[in-house]
Amino acid sequence: MTDLDTPGTASAASDGSRVPLVDMRDIRVSFGGVHAVDGVSIDLYAGEVVALVGGNGAGKSTMIHTLAGAHPADSGQILINGEPVTINNPRDARSYGVETIYQKLALADNIDAAGNIFLGRELKTRFGSLDDSAMSSATQKLMARLNPRFKNLRTPVKSLSGGQRQSVAIARAVHFNAKILIMDEPTAALGPAETAEVRELITQLKSEGIGIFLISHDIHDVFDLADRISVMLQGKLVGTVNKAEVTKDEVLAMIIIGKMPGEVSTEEIEEITH
Amino acid sequence: MTDTQAAPATPSKTSALRSGLASAEIDSRMVGMILATAVIWISFNLLSDGDFLTARNLWNLSVQSTSIAIMATGMVLIIVSRNIDLSVGSLLGFLGYVMAMVQTRWIPNTFDLGLERWYTWIVALAVGLALGALVGAFQGFLVGYIKIPAFIVTLGGLLIWRGLIFRFEQGQTLSPLDSTFGRLGGGGADGSLGDWKSWLVGGIACALIIASVVLSRRRRQRYDLPLRPMWLDVGIAVLGCAVVVAGIGLVANRYISPITGSPTGIAYPVVILIMVTILMTFLARRRQFGRYVYAYGGNPEAAELGGINTRKVVMMTFVLMGVLCAVSAAVQTARLDAAVTNLGVTNELDVISAAVIGGTSFAGGIGTIPGAVLGAVIMQSLRSGMVLLKVDSPTQDVVVGLVLIVAVGLDSTLRKGAK
Amino acid sequence: MRARHVASVAVAAGLVLAACGSDDDTASDDSTATEDTEASGGEGGDCVVGVSWNNFQEERWGKFDEPAMKAAIEAGGGSYVSNDAKSSAETQASNVENLVAQGANAIVVLAQDGEAIIPSVQAAIAEGVPVIAYDRLIEDPDVLYLTFDNQLVGEMQAQALFDIQPTGNWVVIKGNSADANADFLRSGAEKVIGEAVAAGDIVIVGEDYTDNWDPAIAQTTMEGFLTAENNEIDVALVQNDGMAGGVIAALDAQGLAGQVPVSGQDGDQAALNRVALGTQSVDVWKDARELGTAAGEAAIALCANPDPASVEGAGPFTTPGGNEVSSIFLEPIPITQENLNLVVEAGWISEEDLCQGVEAGTVAACP
Repeated sequence: MTDLDTPGTASAASDGSRVPLVDMRDIRVSFGGVHAVDGVSIDLYAGEVVALVGGNGAGKSTMIHTLAGAHPADSGQILINGEPVTINNPRDARSYGVETIYQKLALADNIDAAGNIFLGRELKTRFGSLDDSAMSSATQKLMARLNPRFKNLRTPVKSLSGGQRQSVAIARAVHFNAKILIMDEPTAALGPAETAEVRELITQLKSEGIGIFLISHDIHDVFDLADRISVMLQGKLVGTVNKAEVTKDEVLAMIIIGKMPGEVSTEEIEEITH
Repeated sequence: MTDTQAAPATPSKTSALRSGLASAEIDSRMVGMILATAVIWISFNLLSDGDFLTARNLWNLSVQSTSIAIMATGMVLIIVSRNIDLSVGSLLGFLGYVMAMVQTRWIPNTFDLGLERWYTWIVALAVGLALGALVGAFQGFLVGYIKIPAFIVTLGGLLIWRGLIFRFEQGQTLSPLDSTFGRLGGGGADGSLGDWKSWLVGGIACALIIASVVLSRRRRQRYDLPLRPMWLDVGIAVLGCAVVVAGIGLVANRYISPITGSPTGIAYPVVILIMVTILMTFLARRRQFGRYVYAYGGNPEAAELGGINTRKVVMMTFVLMGVLCAVSAAVQTARLDAAVTNLGVTNELDVISAAVIGGTSFAGGIGTIPGAVLGAVIMQSLRSGMVLLKVDSPTQDVVVGLVLIVAVGLDSTLRKGAK
Repeated sequence: MRARHVASVAVAAGLVLAACGSDDDTASDDSTATEDTEASGGEGGDCVVGVSWNNFQEERWGKFDEPAMKAAIEAGGGSYVSNDAKSSAETQASNVENLVAQGANAIVVLAQDGEAIIPSVQAAIAEGVPVIAYDRLIEDPDVLYLTFDNQLVGEMQAQALFDIQPTGNWVVIKGNSADANADFLRSGAEKVIGEAVAAGDIVIVGEDYTDNWDPAIAQTTMEGFLTAENNEIDVALVQNDGMAGGVIAALDAQGLAGQVPVSGQDGDQAALNRVALGTQSVDVWKDARELGTAAGEAAIALCANPDPASVEGAGPFTTPGGNEVSSIFLEPIPITQENLNLVVEAGWISEEDLCQGVEAGTVAACP
């Protein structure tokens, strides 16, 4: 792990010794005059989980969509490994090793696990046809590693459980050597056992050196998984804190009233927690 | 969960059969449709004192089904990708008319090259196919890129293409057509393959079936994937070849041409239909384009986020549809030996019905090409059977309408039950 | 509300006045706005016939109807003015008013919409200008309705086939079941064959409607009938040329084209060619020139006497709308190989088109 800064500063790399995996600077997105994201800067290092949190409409999804290519930023800069990049669509994002697992589990329901994992990047035979056998085989190996209980390789993912579907979504990201993984509410649709399964997965991916942006409104998830926490409120960044140095109540205060741990009074915290 | 999961420790007979079917990539719906077709055929045969299951009637049925069946293969992909094409009947009429113009006016009069040239049919067909693709691209562009609802675009198309027919020759009937072109319709003495060529085609078909079974088995072996039981693979190959042999031996070549007095063989339009079906199935299941069509239909957002150029995919489904309309238009005008202004009126409804009876779902993402072809055959079987029984056409409409509703109702009930 | 109503009446009155004014400006004309039309119409030389075409773009009207009509009007000493509504019922309404304003003494209307045109027609008649409903009915008791006798078409189809083959197995391929004309034609045919059917000389082995008069459906139906009857079909009574094409294609597939008499109507070029080739027995044809001539002559007669009932050949006819109108029904002509020369002479079809693929000398019209 890197040296972590004191709470209240946005960057974890003030020592300048390492180049962040992702550095998003002064990102702005507006929809018809409304500033959904208003000059937000966040960053992410290899092997780190940064949680991006905030209430409904805080702009956290919009912010991360600019990295995923789902919605380009109006202005601002994105650097990957220190290099400025332009991301206009999901294909661009993937070309920089950015993989996204969406809140609504963006899977094609009527297609099997292999079809989904390779969607948009199908393996082909030398005649240009789909090589289903190769894709099935790769899926089998991938699943053996990620989720050994997964067996339904040939059924449409519609008939899979939420956890299994999440496994497919994650496998899809992992297979293509994602360096940066965006997880948008990865446990929102899941039961307790499945949530545990996904948490396990995240820990494993982290250990493989993958940087993860975790978008969540579940404060428990966030505290269990994240190394740093960036909080957004009304399109602006409240601040980024090291998980180890803050309490859940302090983070809640950031989310709700937009005050950093040093600025907030005990009365205010009282009010929030009640 | 469902039958599709790994077989339980003590497999019952039915579940073994089902999982066998599933692993053979034959969906149970297809089996159900084949059974339904068999019931319809046998019923009509009993009611008509044996007129229905004659080589002659089945041969007629095969030709009569082609035009709708060819278009239905394209309609499947359109509906799977959550669109609709209401313009196919009008487009068929328009393209048929243009192809007839090429043969009866432009080549002989405008270019003064005369009638019955060796190239007449090729030029006519090429013009039709190109124009079909162009019209499809136009409609597809409006749907895919401009995002005008397909219902509106093709409803407009339904009016436009029919109306444009009257811009040529005031819409008078164009006939007779080039005699070589006429063979595409299957009529006359030379509209079919004849005896030995039919067997040759059958032999090739059989070889292809066996080859595809063997190749798929090898491929799965190579990747260490679970294999279908040997008996099933052999069974599929044997059954496929048996169907081919029966079709030729008991229908196509059993039907003695009243004109030549020798076996008629497979009609050219049926050869075209078989090729279209194979090609479209291949496209839908083995090519990236087909995978994208189904992915888009299953979840448009997911496909978009998966980096698929969904607009292009949508447009391409309409281009294909336009080309298939041209193929059907060639078959229909050739069969009629004339282009008329009302050719293909309300065909869009037959085509959509065929696709839907064949298991295509309006919810998107679901539907098979062979299913739609079988759907067309079922519809035409009902029509032909009722004509044989001298049931008048208003009553035929009632029956076909009821069958459509029952088929789809049954299908969605079973689908819910399976969940 | 009331005030507005009064205003619109005033405007209408103004229009009528304007019309009268322009009448006065027309040098050759004596006023038609008053009741003294009878005095004015004595000589054809003063007869201006106004024709309102619904859509002159359609080739037929300019090619056949108009020249014949014009010739008949000029032969009667009248003059011809016309305008084109370009398929718009609204335009046609003002076109009819314009014709009155231009001083027409009689008006021929090929209606775009037989309902929408009624007010303009009534206004013209009220001004003493008689109106001929040309080819298409206008539901007004005071018009002269001029058209071909459609009831006769069915009779002629059946008669021509009956003359060839008065017994045996007949099939009847009718038009769209929703189209009253299909039943109309069928009842005409029944007049001819009804007795023979009752006597058992003719057996109707198959009879069906055809959705949208679609030739492809007619073909499929015929294939079914042929299969069911094991090709033992002696006559196919088919209601129009398009479907006859489909039926003949079905017969051709069984090598029976030319052996089974088939009927049709419309005078399609393709059908006339089939008559020449011998695969179709009869094509009931309505000569548009004849209709044009009759209209021209009737218009001249109406100039002399605006009462429609006074026109030669006019008889009472009860319309589907319950109006009692004077009407003239022209007889269509059944075209067979014997009288194919008629269609060529009429300029309806070129000899080249008629005789395409016909062996020279086999038919009189194809030397």
